[in-house]
Amino acid sequence: MPTELIRILISLVAFAAAVGLIALVMVWVERKVCGHIQRRPGPYEVGPWGLLQPLADALKLMGKQLVMPDQADPFLYWLAPILVFVPVLLLYLPLPVGDGLYALDINLGVLLIIAFAGFTGLSMILGGWAQNNKYALLGAARTVSQSVAYEIPMLLSVLAVCFVSGSLNMAAVVKEQGTWPWNWNVMTQPLAFVIYIVSALGETNRAPFDLPEAESELTAGYHTEYSGMGFGMFFLAEYANMIVVASVATVLFLGGWQGPVLPGPLWFLLKVSLLVLLFVFFRWTYPRVRFDQLLNINWKWLMPLAVANLALTAFFVKVAQYAFVK
Amino acid sequence: MELMAKIAFGVYTLIILCGGILAVAAKSLVRAMVGLIATLLGVAGMYMLLNSPFMAFMQILIYVGAVCVLIFFAVMLTRADAGGEEAESAPLRQNTLALLAVTVVGGVLSWLVLTHPVAGTGVPVEVSIEKLGLGLLGPYGLAFELISVVLLVAMAGAVLLAWERRNGK
Repeated sequence: MPTELIRILISLVAFAAAVGLIALVMVWVERKVCGHIQRRPGPYEVGPWGLLQPLADALKLMGKQLVMPDQADPFLYWLAPILVFVPVLLLYLPLPVGDGLYALDINLGVLLIIAFAGFTGLSMILGGWAQNNKYALLGAARTVSQSVAYEIPMLLSVLAVCFVSGSLNMAAVVKEQGTWPWNWNVMTQPLAFVIYIVSALGETNRAPFDLPEAESELTAGYHTEYSGMGFGMFFLAEYANMIVVASVATVLFLGGWQGPVLPGPLWFLLKVSLLVLLFVFFRWTYPRVRFDQLLNINWKWLMPLAVANLALTAFFVKVAQYAFVK
Repeated sequence: MELMAKIAFGVYTLIILCGGILAVAAKSLVRAMVGLIATLLGVAGMYMLLNSPFMAFMQILIYVGAVCVLIFFAVMLTRADAGGEEAESAPLRQNTLALLAVTVVGGVLSWLVLTHPVAGTGVPVEVSIEKLGLGLLGPYGLAFELISVVLLVAMAGAVLLAWERRNGK
C-alpha cells in the first residue's frame, strides 16, 4: 500500500479520537459559560469543577437503548447518523496545524472542505425525513432553506481571501500571511471575516441561527426521535463542524499557525479556541432569530455585501498586479 | 499503483451501478434520491481517478451539496407519502422498453470496447485551475457562454410554467 494512503488512514483515526476529546471539553465549556452568563454555577458535582460531567453524560448516551419509531424508514434512519459524522473527519485532512504539519498536501484544500461540508445538511434532512415525525420534518425543511442560503455568502467571502492569496492551498494561504497580527488577512478583508463568521454560525446551526433544532418550537428539531448514540452522532458532528469552521477562519483570516514567540501549533490551537469561545458567547448572548429574520439577514445583507466585497477585491487585486508586478 | 487504480475503478463502478439501481427501483422518492447521491459520489471518484480533483470536488459541492438538497425540498413540498403513486411498480410495457434500452445501449458499448480495446493512455496529467480558468474564458469562451444560456432558458421556462398555472386558477 502506498504511504500516502496509510498516512490518511492514520490521520483519520487520530481526528476521530481528537473530535471525541474536543467534544467532551466543549460540552463542559459550553455548560460552564452558559451557567455563569445566567448567574448559575453550571455542573459542579462530578469531579473537580464538574470536569467529569461530560464523560458521565457520554457514558450514559452510549448505554442507552437505540430505538426506532414504528413508521420510520429504517434504511435512511440509520444511514443519517453515520453520514453526518464520517465526512466531517475528512474536513480535517487539509488543515495545516503547524509549519508542514498537515495530513494531506492538496492544492485544493479549501475546496475539499467546502465540498464535503455539504454532507452535514444532507444527512440532517435525510434523518429528519426518515423519522416520520412532524417536528423532525419541520426541522429538516428549515435546514434546507438555511444551509442553501448561508452557503453562498460563506463561499463568496472565502473566495475573496483566495483572490488575495492567489491560492486554494491552505498551507500556501498561511505562508503568505505574516507573523504579526497586522500581516493577517483579517486586516485586508475585515468585511469578508465578519460575513464568514455570521454565515458559519448559520451553516453550523449554532444559536442565534439554531432554528432546525429550536427546542421551544420543535421539541428537538431534526433529531427528535433519535436516542442514545444516534443522537450522539449528530451532537458530535455539530461540535466537530464548529471546530472545522473555526479552523478555516483561523487559516484564512487569522494567519493560521503564524504568530510571535510561541510555537506554531500552539498559536493555531489558541486562535481556534478563542473563536470557538466566541461562538459559545454568541449563543448565550443573542436570542434566536425568527425564520423570516434569518432569511432576510442572509438575502438582504450578507449576500449583497459579499458580492460587493468580492467585486472590489477582484478590482483591487488586478490594480495591484498592474501597478506593482509589471 | 496500477492494481490500486484498478481496484478503485471497480469499487467506483460498483457504487455507480448500485446507486443507479437503487434510484430506479426504490419505492420512496427520498430513497431514490439516496441512490442518485451514491451515483454522483461514484462519478466524483471517477474524476479523482482521472487526476482532476477540481472536477471531483465541484461535482460533490454542486450536485450532492446543492442540487440533491433542492431535489429533496421539491419532494418534501409534494408530500410524497409511502403509499403514493410512485410506490407502485411500473406497467409491464414500460419495464420491457426500459430493459430493451439498457440492453441495446449497453450491448453496443460493450461490443465496441471488446472489439476495439483502447491501448493504455498513460497517467492523466493534473490540469491546474489557472489553466482551466484561462481555457474557459479564452479558447472555450463560446461554449462556456452557451452553457449559461441553457441555464437561463431553464430558469425562464420554470418561471413561465409557474406563471401559467397561477393564471389558470
